[in-house]
Amino acid sequence: MRLPRLGALLGDTLVNLRRGGWGGLAAVGAIGVCSLILGCLWLLTVNLQAILSDWRAQFEVVVFLRDDITAEQRERLRRWLHAEAAVADVQYTSKEEALALFKREVRGQASLLEGLGENPLPASFQLRIREGHQTGTALRAFATALERLEGVEEVLYGREWVDQVGRLVSVLQVAGWAVGTILGGAAIFIVANTIRLAVYARAEEIEVLRLVGATRGYIRAPFILEGFFQGLLGGGVALLLLFAGYRFVVWRLGLAPPGLLGLGGGRFLEPLQVAGLLLTGAVLGGAGSLLSVRRFLKA
Amino acid sequence: MIQFFRVQKTFGREMEALRDVSLDIRKGEFVFLTGPSGAGKTTLLRLIFRDLLPTAGQILVAGRNVVRLPGREVPALRRMLGVIFQDCRLLMDRTVAENLHVVARALGTAEEEARRKIGYLLRQVGLLHRANQSPSSLSGGEQQRVAIARALMNDPLILLADEPTGNLDAELATDVIRLLRELNARGMTILLATHNAALVSDQAKRTVVLKAGRVVADNGA
Ligand SMILES: Nc1ncnc2c1ncn2[C@@H]1O[C@H](COP(=O)(O)OP(=O)(O)OP(=O)(O)O)[C@@H](O)[C@H]1O
Ligand SMILES: [Mg+2]
Repeated sequence: MRLPRLGALLGDTLVNLRRGGWGGLAAVGAIGVCSLILGCLWLLTVNLQAILSDWRAQFEVVVFLRDDITAEQRERLRRWLHAEAAVADVQYTSKEEALALFKREVRGQASLLEGLGENPLPASFQLRIREGHQTGTALRAFATALERLEGVEEVLYGREWVDQVGRLVSVLQVAGWAVGTILGGAAIFIVANTIRLAVYARAEEIEVLRLVGATRGYIRAPFILEGFFQGLLGGGVALLLLFAGYRFVVWRLGLAPPGLLGLGGGRFLEPLQVAGLLLTGAVLGGAGSLLSVRRFLKA
Repeated sequence: MIQFFRVQKTFGREMEALRDVSLDIRKGEFVFLTGPSGAGKTTLLRLIFRDLLPTAGQILVAGRNVVRLPGREVPALRRMLGVIFQDCRLLMDRTVAENLHVVARALGTAEEEARRKIGYLLRQVGLLHRANQSPSSLSGGEQQRVAIARALMNDPLILLADEPTGNLDAELATDVIRLLRELNARGMTILLATHNAALVSDQAKRTVVLKAGRVVADNGA
């Protein structure tokens, strides 16, 4: 496309956008709301997934040992753990180390230590579990087997929590698709409607263009671009609101007790995902206008 | 230039607007198409610029089979044709010059060339001094002349005019016809539909008479 042609096309599009007025605003708003809700779901999913994978990377099963365990029993246990396929890494913490660690953690609160007669803390093995073996059933079976071994007092693992977050993520993903489809459809419909009005408003000009042999592309392009820009604008507005909302939430959580949801750090959408959200808006707008143009502009 | 071979056009099931029309209009001819209201004149013109497809028969325009023409070649066909209507279909929110400019842009005419052409055509129809006014400030005859100038923007081989004088009094109508005759004298093929018998009898030209969708008289065939 030659440059003057492109300039004229953009000019046409701007004129259309301006003439669109409130109708155009409705289209931008509809796409904005749609993109915003999708963006929220996406952002939540991204953050939960991040938490989840952090959690999975450092996922630990702790095997507390009986105080009366013999050195020989302990070594047998260690060998057994090393041989186990689910176990990525084994760390041993003795009673003394556990106490030292505890003392370090509660420094400044010496009163907590006063009641401590002899060392009440058990020795333990910390196991890191390989990714593939982190499902609820696999862990339950593993823990049950461990608890039957000699010298084992108790096996702790936080499977429920991980499973719940995992479930939440899948629910969010399904909800995202469902909500996205419904809202996307509604947004397309609203855009199609504004473009239809724009087409009607310019019916006379379109008729003239048809008669003098303007190509279909030439006649349609300004309308399709109009929808595209409305979508891009809607997506942009949604993105700004999403970012503002995100900063607000991070700030509020920053005040809340640390560790709540582990969101303290938080993360916004990656640049590619930001582009994706904008593109979603633009595609919705483009689809709406295309639909309208195909329907209301005869060849 | 324009050939109809046993063309038939039926709207819906019953409405036979054209029945078995055959016609041969040669290059450079000026042809009046007359007949009572509802005879099928407009339908015949619309078939030529592919606004409609016939129910049966074939139509050749400048050597192209309009009936078989793929959709993407329709613009090329229409670039060979100028079309004017009784209601001039001018854009009232633009100036006279802008009305012509819209066409230039659609056809990708370079800016300089477009301006030169608009000036030339407006002078030809005697409206250069009105270039920057709105068409709504012009008389009916002047508006029709703008429409003619616009139809000439794509250098058509053929001019199709559907009741171009329908809204004009006798004097203005004669003006418009004179303009069209000048164009014809310079080689343009013109097909003009009208049910104004007086207009036709003044002109010693080929006249095709339609009645109820049939050609009932043709003094030039
Ligand atoms: N789109 C359409 N659908 C149904 N019937 C139509 C359509 N267009 C035209 N007709 C019918 O076809 C017949 C021919 O119409 P056409 O407009 O060609 O006549 P005409 O000779 O141009 O008349 P007029 O002098 O009034 O303009 C008329 O009876 C008209 O009602
Ligand atoms: Mg008619």
